[in-house]
Amino acid sequence: MSSVMNALSYQHFPIYAIMVLFLGAFLIVVFGGNRTARNILALLSITASLAFILALVKPVMWDGEIIAYWMGGRVPAGGYAIGIALEVDALSLFFALLVSVAVFVSGVYSIQYMRHDDNEREYYTLFLMLGGGVMGLVLSGDLFNMFIMVEILTFAAVALTAFRNTAKGALEAAFKYLVVGSIGSTCILVGTSMLYAQAHTLNLAQLAQVIPGNLNTATKVAFALLFVGFGTKAFIVPFHPLAADAHGAAPASISVMISGVLTKSGIYGIIRLTYFLFQTMNLGTMQFLLVFIGSLSMFVCVTMALAQHDFKRLLAFHSISQIGYVLTAVGLCTALGVSAGLYHAMNHTLFKGLLFLAAGAVLHETGTTDLGKLGGLSKKMPYTTVLFLIGAFSISGIPPFNGFASKWMIYQATYQKAVESGNIGFLLVTIIALVTSVLTLASFVKVSQSVFFGQLPRELENVKEVPFGMRFAMAIFALLCVLTGLFPNLVTTYITEPAARAVFSVAQYIGAMGFDASGVAAETAVSFAHVGVWEPISWLLILCIALLSVTIVAVASKYDRVSQCSGEAVDSKYELFYGGEAQEFSQVGGGDLFWGFKHNWRGYFDVMHRLHSGVVNDYALWAVVDLALVLLFSLIVL
Amino acid sequence: MFKKLIQESMGKSPWLFHINAGSCNGCDIELVSVLTPRYDAERLGFKLAGSPRHADIVVVTGPVTKQSLPRVLRAISQVPEPRCIVTMGSCPQSGNVFRGSYSVAGPLSKYVHVDVDVAGCAPKPEAVIDGLALATQILKEKRGQMK
Amino acid sequence: MTIVITALQYLGYVLIFPGFLFCFLAGMLLCGIDRKLVAKMQKRVGPPILQPFYDFFKLCGKETIIPASASKTTFLMAPLVGLAALVVIQLFIPVFSFSAFSGMADVIVILYLLLIPAMSIILGGAASGSPYAGVGLSREMVTIISCELPLVLVLLAVAKTVGSAMGTGLCFSLSDIAAYQAMNGSLITKLSMIPAAVAMLLIIPGETGNHPFDAAEAETEICEGLLAEYSGAPLGVFKLSHAIKMLTLTSLFVALFLGGLGTGIVALDGIILFLLCVVLTAVSISFVHAITARLKIEQIFKFYWTLVTGLALISLVLAWYGL
Repeated sequence: MSSVMNALSYQHFPIYAIMVLFLGAFLIVVFGGNRTARNILALLSITASLAFILALVKPVMWDGEIIAYWMGGRVPAGGYAIGIALEVDALSLFFALLVSVAVFVSGVYSIQYMRHDDNEREYYTLFLMLGGGVMGLVLSGDLFNMFIMVEILTFAAVALTAFRNTAKGALEAAFKYLVVGSIGSTCILVGTSMLYAQAHTLNLAQLAQVIPGNLNTATKVAFALLFVGFGTKAFIVPFHPLAADAHGAAPASISVMISGVLTKSGIYGIIRLTYFLFQTMNLGTMQFLLVFIGSLSMFVCVTMALAQHDFKRLLAFHSISQIGYVLTAVGLCTALGVSAGLYHAMNHTLFKGLLFLAAGAVLHETGTTDLGKLGGLSKKMPYTTVLFLIGAFSISGIPPFNGFASKWMIYQATYQKAVESGNIGFLLVTIIALVTSVLTLASFVKVSQSVFFGQLPRELENVKEVPFGMRFAMAIFALLCVLTGLFPNLVTTYITEPAARAVFSVAQYIGAMGFDASGVAAETAVSFAHVGVWEPISWLLILCIALLSVTIVAVASKYDRVSQCSGEAVDSKYELFYGGEAQEFSQVGGGDLFWGFKHNWRGYFDVMHRLHSGVVNDYALWAVVDLALVLLFSLIVL
Repeated sequence: MFKKLIQESMGKSPWLFHINAGSCNGCDIELVSVLTPRYDAERLGFKLAGSPRHADIVVVTGPVTKQSLPRVLRAISQVPEPRCIVTMGSCPQSGNVFRGSYSVAGPLSKYVHVDVDVAGCAPKPEAVIDGLALATQILKEKRGQMK
Repeated sequence: MTIVITALQYLGYVLIFPGFLFCFLAGMLLCGIDRKLVAKMQKRVGPPILQPFYDFFKLCGKETIIPASASKTTFLMAPLVGLAALVVIQLFIPVFSFSAFSGMADVIVILYLLLIPAMSIILGGAASGSPYAGVGLSREMVTIISCELPLVLVLLAVAKTVGSAMGTGLCFSLSDIAAYQAMNGSLITKLSMIPAAVAMLLIIPGETGNHPFDAAEAETEICEGLLAEYSGAPLGVFKLSHAIKMLTLTSLFVALFLGGLGTGIVALDGIILFLLCVVLTAVSISFVHAITARLKIEQIFKFYWTLVTGLALISLVLAWYGL
């Protein structure tokens, strides 16, 4: 009896959360021949994983407990960690929460979305492997285990990218991803083994105890290797072209995983590496590295997105642009910055998930995501349009949606950092972030005009709304987008601030595993104070009153009494004005909508066009150049 | 009271939409001259609108050629009620020197109800303003008849 | 009982001052004065000052046609949402020392809230399906991008100046900026703020879409762009929003640079604010309108990202080094 009670203790929940996903994957291989069985198995395992993670929120996030879990009870002997460990602090749990929510919604969506594909069994197996891999990565307390999980998730992601291998470009994208992803994985492996050779341990907590005092050339090289390795997983510049190919080719539910979950695992790795293992974030130069790469990703990718003419590729570039925000904010090394960055990471999972699902819905019904071939879908797919607009407003930071709340914190964090450090460079970051935001808005205006508004092409006359299951999955994300935007104080107090506090409590992280943390500075007093004021609820209340009064006046003065076309016969009165000509199909949209902007930047776009050659050799070369630069940087700076 | 306000405003803010139905460009220039500082029709609230959806008064110039007839009628149909149709110059009214040509379908009054005719080739700006002022009175009356 | 009175008071703020009634009257008058001034500068008699009111009521009495290819709900709701959002922004901008709700949103929030009316007109136009609206949408968005960068720089410069003077390092709150100016005089008297003020004056016509930055609704080439298919009351609401936007941006200028001129009496302050807005409109909108021809969209972008950004940048750098 007591052993049953013991097995139900929340101490075990982290490993359960990982295991149910992998277990689900294996069971689907065995019993997944039947569609119903397959769906039930998949749903069960993602729901169970979500439930385990949710049950951990109270003890770990709110009570501040750090769960140290030694598999098989193999606790350290002789001061060295020999067993495999899971270590769950608020930071790990924060990312695990994102992973489980994204996996859950994406899984629910897949049931309808993947109905018409072959090999559904393999799909769900790989899908759950991918989810389990990321879950294992963020909950792991062991560097080598992280590498194993990176391998699992990379190969699951590569296979899923090529899942629709009859689609144009799918195999090519998977191949590129495989090549550069392998470079990244190799970097992680080599970095891990170098650290092991130096520190004789693979446990994260113990590494964090040993490394910072004993930096030598080998550990510096290891730092660069691990940094680049996790960078490839986060697709930050210069690895962003891969993301575009992979997202564009993968099914939408997998794009959600790649952009919402996989990139986060890279960010998680970078945070663990810089804040915990090497504890170098108080160095100005280290902050510079992260903020520089972050701002570069932010700006380059948003301009690349403006030049895209495919819905999903555009979203992919935005994905990296938003990851740039996260990395920039995390790189500031202030409590507010980290909290804002994590908040944005969460929001990114939600709104980007929503947008990819909306893109998937369009693809599901029309068979294309080419912006030049779509148009006017708002009349055929009203629910999808509304949900897409919520996602678009969230990512562009229109109040009161969640993107605004976190971006607004990021602006303050960067500007405060600029004022406090007296470094005018951070001011530039604030400006880049603000400009990126409006460019993001521009490209989503482009999408809404090209896909949902404007005129309906004749070929799309028979398009229908997507089935309920897909709408339901999108609605979950949309609801979360609205809620996290309306209650920023609750979100920061209960979710991101505990996680951000964990980032600054390295000593507790080491101590929780039973290692001596006396050499590490104790938790510094962290302050989340910021200068701005924003009360979304009051604003929404006033807006509602205002809107209500406008509407009352409008209805009272017969605003809604309109003349509109009735029946089939089209009166010329209800045709669009074409300078007197009869109405014909003419849709303004597609990739080149903002030529007024692009014209002035044509030099820049020419260079970008030449750089993004689409040749995998070039991208591999970029990876090597990036590695060389980071190596040089870490050898000089650390 | 609100209704009266609207009716009063209708007479004070007529927006023009100009359709060239094969005109020789003489009347078009004269119409623009009405808006220049010398005659300044804006003091009466006149404004040139870019789209028929915004217009109250449609000004048609030219003899209404066969080519332009369906376009003219379509554009006129797209103007919201209440609206006034004003022909400017002799061409849309009678065909002028183009009368009888194989390519002329006019006069315009054969196809739609014309409220005001401003004759002349081309009419003087004073005459145009007079005609437009008359059109605004008709506009006001039409508004009064609307529910 | 007190709750009821407070609720009524706030409702009064929303509906009367500085909410709807004030916005409607002041915005429309501002628009009328602008048209009259332009006419005077061109040696014309010009329309009566009440002309925007006539236009608005006339449009209310016109038929509203919904094109067959439009999405009806978006098409009809967009103007109303835009108007409501704009009035809420006006509520967040303090009238000198009096602030109805300005403790609820800072300058960065205002910057983003200003995007909502722009989005409403863009989505409304897009929902009509007209290709003219498509072209207008493209130009409108590029105009927004153009104005955003200098506006951001202006706001950051003000935030830094006020913040370092108050010892907090940074200050984003508009009511704090107003309080600072009430004590230390208007910001425009500071030498470092003059370039930013000039930049802001140039931003106002761009944000409102007035001549010469009105490529987005050029009526002679793209048939009023986004508004091409609107008729009747919805069009009137958009025209009203445009008028209120002039008021909002000029009173934002007053709040940022001309604070501290208030008397403490709310009614009088309202009048002073309106008079200052008239002066600013005359300088930044009417004067520029009267002497220029419409710019092409790529010229607008170039103008804002070079000249105006440069001006704002000078201010920011001066403010940064505490000059």
